Amino acid sequence: MVTLKIDGIQVEVPKDYTILQAAEKAGVHIPVLCHDARLNPFGACRVCLIEAVGNPRLMTACTTPVAPDMDILTNTEKLQRIRKTVIELLLVNHPLECPVCDKGGECTLQDLTYEVGLTKVRFEATPADTPVDHTNPFIERDIDRCVLCGRCVRICDEVVNIQAISFINRGMETMIGTAFDQPWNCEFCGQCISVCPVGSLNNRVYLFKNRPWNLEKTDSICGLCGCGCYIELETEGNELYRMGEVPDKGANHGNLCAKGRFGFEFVNSVKRETSAKIKAAGEAADADFEQAVVTVAEKVKSIKAQHGADSVAVLVSPRLTNEEAFLANKLAKDVIGTAGMYAVEPHSSFPDATYADIETSDAVAVLNLDVTEANPILGLAVRAAARKNEAALYVFYPSETALKRLVTKQFTGNPDEVYASMTRLVEGQGEEASVLEVLKKAEKPVAVYNPYNQADLWFVSELKKQIPGLKVAAARAKANSQGVLDMGALDAAKLKEGIQNKTIKALICLGENPSVRTGWADLSLDSLELLAVTDPFMSETAKKATVYIPVATYAEKDGSFTNLEGRVQSVNKALCKGLKTDAEVIAALAEKLGKALPSCSCEIRELIRKEVSLYKDVDFDGGLVKYADAVTGEFAKPAKAAAGEGKYFLYPSSLRLHSGSYTRWSPDLAKVYGEAKLEISPADAEELGLEDGSSVSVSAAGITKTFKVHVEKHMTKGCVALPEDYADTAEIFGKGRYHKVSLGKKG
Amino acid sequence: MKNIFDTLLLTEIFQGLGITLKHLFKKKITYKYPYEDTPIFPRFRGVQYIKTHENGATKCVGCYLCQKVCPSECIHIVTDCGPNGERLIRKYEIDLSRCIYCGYCEEACPVDAVHMGRDYHTTDSTRDNYVINMKTLSENYKKELANAQAKGEQL
Repeated sequence: MVTLKIDGIQVEVPKDYTILQAAEKAGVHIPVLCHDARLNPFGACRVCLIEAVGNPRLMTACTTPVAPDMDILTNTEKLQRIRKTVIELLLVNHPLECPVCDKGGECTLQDLTYEVGLTKVRFEATPADTPVDHTNPFIERDIDRCVLCGRCVRICDEVVNIQAISFINRGMETMIGTAFDQPWNCEFCGQCISVCPVGSLNNRVYLFKNRPWNLEKTDSICGLCGCGCYIELETEGNELYRMGEVPDKGANHGNLCAKGRFGFEFVNSVKRETSAKIKAAGEAADADFEQAVVTVAEKVKSIKAQHGADSVAVLVSPRLTNEEAFLANKLAKDVIGTAGMYAVEPHSSFPDATYADIETSDAVAVLNLDVTEANPILGLAVRAAARKNEAALYVFYPSETALKRLVTKQFTGNPDEVYASMTRLVEGQGEEASVLEVLKKAEKPVAVYNPYNQADLWFVSELKKQIPGLKVAAARAKANSQGVLDMGALDAAKLKEGIQNKTIKALICLGENPSVRTGWADLSLDSLELLAVTDPFMSETAKKATVYIPVATYAEKDGSFTNLEGRVQSVNKALCKGLKTDAEVIAALAEKLGKALPSCSCEIRELIRKEVSLYKDVDFDGGLVKYADAVTGEFAKPAKAAAGEGKYFLYPSSLRLHSGSYTRWSPDLAKVYGEAKLEISPADAEELGLEDGSSVSVSAAGITKTFKVHVEKHMTKGCVALPEDYADTAEIFGKGRYHKVSLGKKG
Repeated sequence: MKNIFDTLLLTEIFQGLGITLKHLFKKKITYKYPYEDTPIFPRFRGVQYIKTHENGATKCVGCYLCQKVCPSECIHIVTDCGPNGERLIRKYEIDLSRCIYCGYCEEACPVDAVHMGRDYHTTDSTRDNYVINMKTLSENYKKELANAQAKGEQL
């Protein structure tokens, strides 16, 4: 520890602190422009200059480490004068477009100009008038406004590790760009926008839509994937304008991904249904909420009387909050009298490793998962481990992933080879034996895996047996995938069986869209006497529904989500589109069935505390749930992964821009990635005479489907990949996740 | 005695009528509004107008500053991004029934677009007509410009 004085205030700080951090602790404000707590010190802007008594030179507070008995002055007349000149010089080339700049009102440069009291720039210079760059679908770039603080370059490198942009040219000509002005080869995460202190990098989804002072901010949790990122919903009236990041709160350190930051538009979508629909004689007609609930309740009553309570099933979506899932379980168990609700989520894996565990790990193995695509923020934690902690990183995946820049070794190849490689890892043979050794020797080893691949669980449980200290992270796909299981969801395999045997006559489907879920797409729902669906959109399943009730999205309700680390976080209502929440639907239905259930989230939360032992003492604002085991059950060693006879291996890929079928209602995401595309290596594409955008027929397991082609240079030769959660692909993957397929060029 | 005299001969009424008679021949200080306009002073603040460029496009850039500064919250703006990344003003409305003609919007405008005009004829039979949009505001500019030119003044 080091003791020093800052503006006369004595503080004691660790010796690796910078003066800026010490000043924060002392409660002294030092203005900064290029500093960001997530990034390494840089010292580009010189705004944070301070004076140390006895030292004639000025120092930058953000880069200078503390020394014992320093006496720091932060606001002398000399410093004020220098700071003013620094800002004045920055403004020489900065166009005065504040009224039309989206950053106006929340601009660091604007704030600093006010802070130093600058009203007139003494220098005459005409700012350049370079055309605005619109080549990136999500990021608008106006290089004239850039102050070259380097925050975008640094976050793209240090946190996201994509290195899409850099400083180009030298001296006066310096600007942010790509080599040879190529288009951005970027993940569209928008982290650069979030750190830009000026309006040089702008969010194109929000571009010119509103001004910051009009927006009301509500803290909440992103409802798109299992990462559970802490966000701010920025709204005006009942319109959602922007997703804000909160670096000080939540486990994600203010980092967001492309779908989280740009994929919120579905909340405002005009395609959302506003009235309930009841299908009579094959025709769906508008009905009011009351009518719809009464219809469902009466059907449930008559089916129950005729076929018994077990002929009615409740299926919940992992997008429901814990409170709603709990209520749905009550509806299934106490009101209808069945064994419980179902959820299409794997039941044998539980959260174990937290983001902090992964970030501080010294050896990470990623098992058969493209983590940066499937769960981008989990991917950032893996990247942080490899980058900041210099952890050994081993990736087992059929194709090269974005982690390739950081890996110690990656094991690619067709799915059979990847499985063989993982088997060798577990059994300690071949070159993978050394990986096992590293994991065994590591202080905090972590394995990240895909719980949706049932076959992979054997590797995880075997590794866990061999390495007692190993922490595993299950990359859960949806916002509350874990929470619905904790609330008592049963394995949906039984439900599927029941529908196939026609023993289940009525299905109340809360938010779930089984028609596009892997393994469910080929299931005919026609035999059901009642299919009641709640969904914000007319989803594939909702189209088949006897009764459809439109409901609120995560931005319109209160509750909580449990993320893939087992962290319970509160979701808050930011706007109201005049639609009922699932909780209100369940409560209304229960009332019609003769039992009152609460619909207010705080009341339900109290009930959860009483009845769900895991959540008894958990803090609903970021508390971790303690699970007994990371994986439960006995698993068989997987045999050959891929079935079938074709020439190419097909495996399911993850999409960075989509999470299930929900985000496809976001126009901005759908514009960049709409229909399912078949990823293929350039070598295979050439062999088949395919180009980007040409059509190809894929035959697997007796099914032939046509897809558009995307030629991807990271793909392994002989392998092709399709995304999950599309009606067409769900059918193929329903027969197994790995296939040998034959491809044929179309047209 | 004097009181009785006054009361009987109605002297006070004649006195009053005398004043009326005197004013009848004086210079008039009232105006026959609406048949005749009252004169306005140079710094009078009337119904707003928004300046246009020579090609007819509005000078307003939709920065929301007038909306923010407006104490009676009578300005409503909606902006959006056009297909080529340009800033579009989807809506610019002033609710004259709420406006207190303080002129803050004119002060706040960074691009010399919104101004307080000299027109004060706002009476209408429905409230909806009090809400004026960008089209009306631009037309107001043309009228103001014509009026000013007729008088040989600068806007």
